[in-house]
Amino acid sequence: MTNIRMSISRRGFVKAAGALAVAGLAPAIVRGQGAPMQLGILTPLTGAGGFDGPRMAKAMTAVMDEVNAAGGLLGRKVELVIEDDETNPEAAVRAARKLIDVTKVPVIMGTWASAVTSAVAPLCWESKTFLTTVSGADSITKLPHQGYLIRTQPNNHLQAAKHAEFIAALGVKRCFIMSIQAPFSQPTQERASEVLKQKGSEMVGGLIYDKDKTTYRSEVDQALKTKPDLIYLNGYAPDVTILLRDLYRAGYTGPRFAQSYAVTSKVLEALPAEVTEGVITVQPSADVGSPAYDLAKKRLGIAEPDSYESQATDWASLVALAIAKAKLATGTGMRDNVRKISQGSGSKVYSAVEGLQLLAQGKDINYEGASGPCDFTDIGDILDCKFRYNKVHAGKLAFLKVT
Amino acid sequence: MPPLLAEVTQLVVNGVMAGTILAVPAIGLTAIYAVLRFPNFAVASHATIGAFAGYVANVKFGWPILPSVVVAFLAAGAVGVVTDETVLRRFRPAGFITTAIASIALTIALENIVRFSFGNDLRGYALPIERDWRVGSIRIGPQQVQNLMIVLVAMAALFGFLSFTRTGKAMRAVADNPMLASIKGIHADMISRLVNFVGMGLAGLGGMLIGLDTTIDPLTGFRSILSVFAAAVVGGLGSIPGAVLGALTVGVGEELCLLFLSPDYRSVVGFVAILLVLTLRPRGILGQRAY
Repeated sequence: MTNIRMSISRRGFVKAAGALAVAGLAPAIVRGQGAPMQLGILTPLTGAGGFDGPRMAKAMTAVMDEVNAAGGLLGRKVELVIEDDETNPEAAVRAARKLIDVTKVPVIMGTWASAVTSAVAPLCWESKTFLTTVSGADSITKLPHQGYLIRTQPNNHLQAAKHAEFIAALGVKRCFIMSIQAPFSQPTQERASEVLKQKGSEMVGGLIYDKDKTTYRSEVDQALKTKPDLIYLNGYAPDVTILLRDLYRAGYTGPRFAQSYAVTSKVLEALPAEVTEGVITVQPSADVGSPAYDLAKKRLGIAEPDSYESQATDWASLVALAIAKAKLATGTGMRDNVRKISQGSGSKVYSAVEGLQLLAQGKDINYEGASGPCDFTDIGDILDCKFRYNKVHAGKLAFLKVT
Repeated sequence: MPPLLAEVTQLVVNGVMAGTILAVPAIGLTAIYAVLRFPNFAVASHATIGAFAGYVANVKFGWPILPSVVVAFLAAGAVGVVTDETVLRRFRPAGFITTAIASIALTIALENIVRFSFGNDLRGYALPIERDWRVGSIRIGPQQVQNLMIVLVAMAALFGFLSFTRTGKAMRAVADNPMLASIKGIHADMISRLVNFVGMGLAGLGGMLIGLDTTIDPLTGFRSILSVFAAAVVGGLGSIPGAVLGALTVGVGEELCLLFLSPDYRSVVGFVAILLVLTLRPRGILGQRAY
């Protein structure tokens, strides 16, 4: 075995350092000659979001591979720089600092947890870096982000409205809502009541319960006193499980409605089938059946990309189109142009490559995504999206509809 | 029955049911306090351990509920003795606060061992669920009546043990006056092991009873520990009948408050009760005499 001794002479070191300094001082010359355009991905590859993060990164990479194959952006190849936010705000801030200060990306795509997005967003707007996210907390788009943030996940306000529309469409006249004590409870109750009223239905009552209780018999009595046609269980799995049991014991046989994260397949295993029979669950859905969704299926080679993969597909496409529209790869360029390519009266396009071709011809476009229409409000929330409804039958979730 | 009276009766019935389940781990906590003089918050994880031991017996081995409940008691009791011997005992010379904090650390460690072994998912016992019985306008759950029976039998056994057996009397003697008990030749280490076994066994039994009514996960015990602690303090930390009375007070109080308050304030009742009792009767309703 040979030992290789690496030695660097003092002169060699000075030369190398000098060369690096020159390269650093002359970014315009180096980059102007077709160096790859680096865009940032900050997503949970580990931690609670570790199931979704890698799939989102893959979906974004697939879109950019297509863009590169079609000639890249502004004459340059796109290179995605992927960092792990560990589903942890502290790790996310460190990784975002690296992307912003060292790699100098104009955009960061992919934050998942609301706590992570809330921590990273100020770094982004202060450095004029564009941020795309899947976090759902209402507070995120209310941050003073000056337009440097969009999210494709429906916020709480939109979700509550859609749930209420669905409940009213079931013919429910008297709805009761039982919510866990959480920041989203009061706003959900208020918004759902408002929409039910508009649709000719009524929220006959609501209560907010304490989360760590072993029984909710008295709360169930309060709900049943109002003689509801449907009970909306707006909580998490541990408490919704107890509520479902207590409703069954109390002899309630009407429909129950809950978020899919509260009635998971594990919850269905833990409860007797008769307790969960007929429960309707809801979750934000990709726009299944849309042309962009079909393209995403082919691009990713999977039968049913989920909501997160679809949203990631849309971020990469929106970013590519906004850069092309701005003719500039900067965060401010994306901020000022993202709505010009995602909504309005331009030709509808369903992929980044299709949009890039039309933009090159000087045409206006309106990107319609795999996750939904991708039309944004002034503060960066989506205006509309689809929801998937399932119904429990014999202890299993059965598909009801996407609407 | 007039509607308000029916409502109050229903709330009291619900409160008594909730209170009796709360009483079991509260007795465990208070019994350990009576003898070892520190609040052992590891009651929380032992409740979880009991719940999971009962789950293994009931679901994995297909045993009926009653033998599974016994398994919950024995497993949690045995773990209680081992953890006290190996961990908490070493902290006791350092004083009350240090040992109480060590018990919090212990409970988090044990809870994570359960999480590591069983995962975070919710689990349910193999137990058919029944609709409530209706007596007039009042409804009562068959499962809760069964739980009530188990609790009453466990309490009767405990009181019988403390009143009529030599070891039980020795335990009370140590709780009342450790110095005198030692002069009389009572072996303090043996008593401390025994009280840990019985106390943590009751915590495990309580954990399983909570699980029978709901579902279990590694946080089952931790979620209830504040109410259990409130019950023990309200009744008089160190007093076993006090723990029962405290649990019923907290249980019924939390339900009756729904007449005036929104349900999200339910937990406040236990703590307002602690504040009131400690202000008016610093040693709790029944004082600190063990029995």
